[in-house]
Amino acid sequence: MPIDRRDFLTSSAAALTAAVLPRTAAAKPHAAQPHVVVVGAGFGGATCAKYLRLWDPGIQVTLIEPNPHFTSCPMSNWVVGGFLDFDYLVKRYDKLPKYGIRMVRDRVTGVDGEKRLVHTQGGEKIAYDRLVLAPGMEFMTEKVEGYAEGAKAGKVMHAFKAGPETLLLRKQLEAMPDGGVFIIASPPPPGRCVSGPYERASVAAHYFKQHKPKSKIIMLDGHIDVVSKGPMFKAAWKELYPGMIEHRPNNLAVGFDHRTMTVRTEFEDQKGDVVNIIPLQRAPQLCKDAGVRNDALDRWCRVDFTTYESTSVPNIHVVGDPIMSNMPKSAHVSNNQAKIAAAAIIELLHGRQPDPVPVIGSTSYSVTSDHTSGSIAVVMRYDPVKKVYQRQPEGGANKTHSEIEFEYGRSWHENMWADTLG
Amino acid sequence: MKRYTLLAGFVLAALGAAWAAHAADAKIEALARSCNSCHGLNGVSVGASMPSIGGLSESYLYNVMLQWKHGERYSATMGRHFKGYSDEELAGLAKHFSALPWVPVVQSADARVLAHGKEATERCETCHGATGGQPDDKDTPMLNGQWAKYLELELMKYRTEGVDMPHKKMRKNAQKMGEDADVAAAAKYYAAQPK
Repeated sequence: MPIDRRDFLTSSAAALTAAVLPRTAAAKPHAAQPHVVVVGAGFGGATCAKYLRLWDPGIQVTLIEPNPHFTSCPMSNWVVGGFLDFDYLVKRYDKLPKYGIRMVRDRVTGVDGEKRLVHTQGGEKIAYDRLVLAPGMEFMTEKVEGYAEGAKAGKVMHAFKAGPETLLLRKQLEAMPDGGVFIIASPPPPGRCVSGPYERASVAAHYFKQHKPKSKIIMLDGHIDVVSKGPMFKAAWKELYPGMIEHRPNNLAVGFDHRTMTVRTEFEDQKGDVVNIIPLQRAPQLCKDAGVRNDALDRWCRVDFTTYESTSVPNIHVVGDPIMSNMPKSAHVSNNQAKIAAAAIIELLHGRQPDPVPVIGSTSYSVTSDHTSGSIAVVMRYDPVKKVYQRQPEGGANKTHSEIEFEYGRSWHENMWADTLG
Repeated sequence: MKRYTLLAGFVLAALGAAWAAHAADAKIEALARSCNSCHGLNGVSVGASMPSIGGLSESYLYNVMLQWKHGERYSATMGRHFKGYSDEELAGLAKHFSALPWVPVVQSADARVLAHGKEATERCETCHGATGGQPDDKDTPMLNGQWAKYLELELMKYRTEGVDMPHKKMRKNAQKMGEDADVAAAAKYYAAQPK
């Protein structure tokens, strides 16, 4: 049931608006069917493209994505833990064209914000009225000396974008002898899925407990503590895997020697049998090239939080991981930011005012074994005075894990994939 | 130029007024979008443990949301969500989802399980109707084509001592259901009903 938000204004007021408002706020006069180009078909981009068409079939939407299939990062730790086939993470894009979305399988190589043009590797030049960038994040592998060489030798991986590295990590855990050491080195926030490394430690411990009980997991954590779902993870580890996971906070990995399998942090050297380093992250190069990676450290994109339009380049919106904000970089947040951006883009294209105080609800589940999970549930409201999303009181993480949350978490994935892709 | 500015000012004022006029409904719509992520587009879930909510009665939805908000009902995650919304917003969401059609997701099960389930649901009939699709009052949810896994988990909550489920009659009847296998069969029976 598409929601026709055009009902909100009388047609005469709308006509007047289109005639008088400055061009930046109104649809281009010649654009009978405004064109929105979305880059990246993940939780942010695919959701945005879908909801733009659902809510306003008068808008043309082109979705550009280089990969033939969607591969889900949420649930990919289940594969690492050995209780899910990798194939289950791979979803088709075939339902999106049914919404009238033009899917282009190509890689965007450049954005001309002035001419409103997107350039692709395949040589296409695609004009847009509004552009949505949802390219996820990229790793700052240069911040870990020796990472590139180690990765090339197949001795280290991030496995933090689901794909071949997820399987490589699983394979190495399977090949590791009992009594081995598995190192997970993770960065401080902001970065994608802050609870992901702790979930990974949990699923590895679940596997070791059954098959390699003398093994050990050492977490070299750049963060000050297990901050995300901390009490829940710590309680679960104590209950299920006593003594197996050693968490060392304030210990950012800065180097890796693949010949000796040694991770160097700011404080110590640690040798491992299997080494998983998740480097610091930033908004991808594409965002920089488009002129929207504009924070002081050249890492993230600043946006207007009511429209997700860049603060530096008009008509370019950014959703999901690349944004600088106090919101988690999670699937659910990307999915909901995309809906807020889609609604705002429709309002802007019709010369109307977008919702000035958007609200985002987010749930994130982390498994602690093949049948238990814990969760975070938060509602974040935009505060137009302070210009930040404020977490509403009494939301947050629960202190214990449970079997029922594992069940809910499983279905959370099914619904999240459906809301994004079909 | 002056005229242009005046006119623009007038239009912006009109826009502001229009926003205020429709803001209440639009705001609820905007809040409801967030629910889709877990409960499906138009409140029709595709996940076995997550309930469909589109087309359930306004009164049922509002009551349950308030119970969660005030910590009166066992909650895995929803309590933490609803504490972030005002009662007016929850009322608006209940109205929004109740106005959508109930779309049963019919799940097949083998004949023996269905017969077992039919028998196990005898005492449910008075309030929910023979197939779960004929609730006797506005506070009783539709069960036909609801997700079996969800129904089973809910029934188990009603059967478990110490789990806060405020509906006394439901507690009593769920506890009378006998074996846990009866609960699973009952859930599968309702899930298989198209009407």
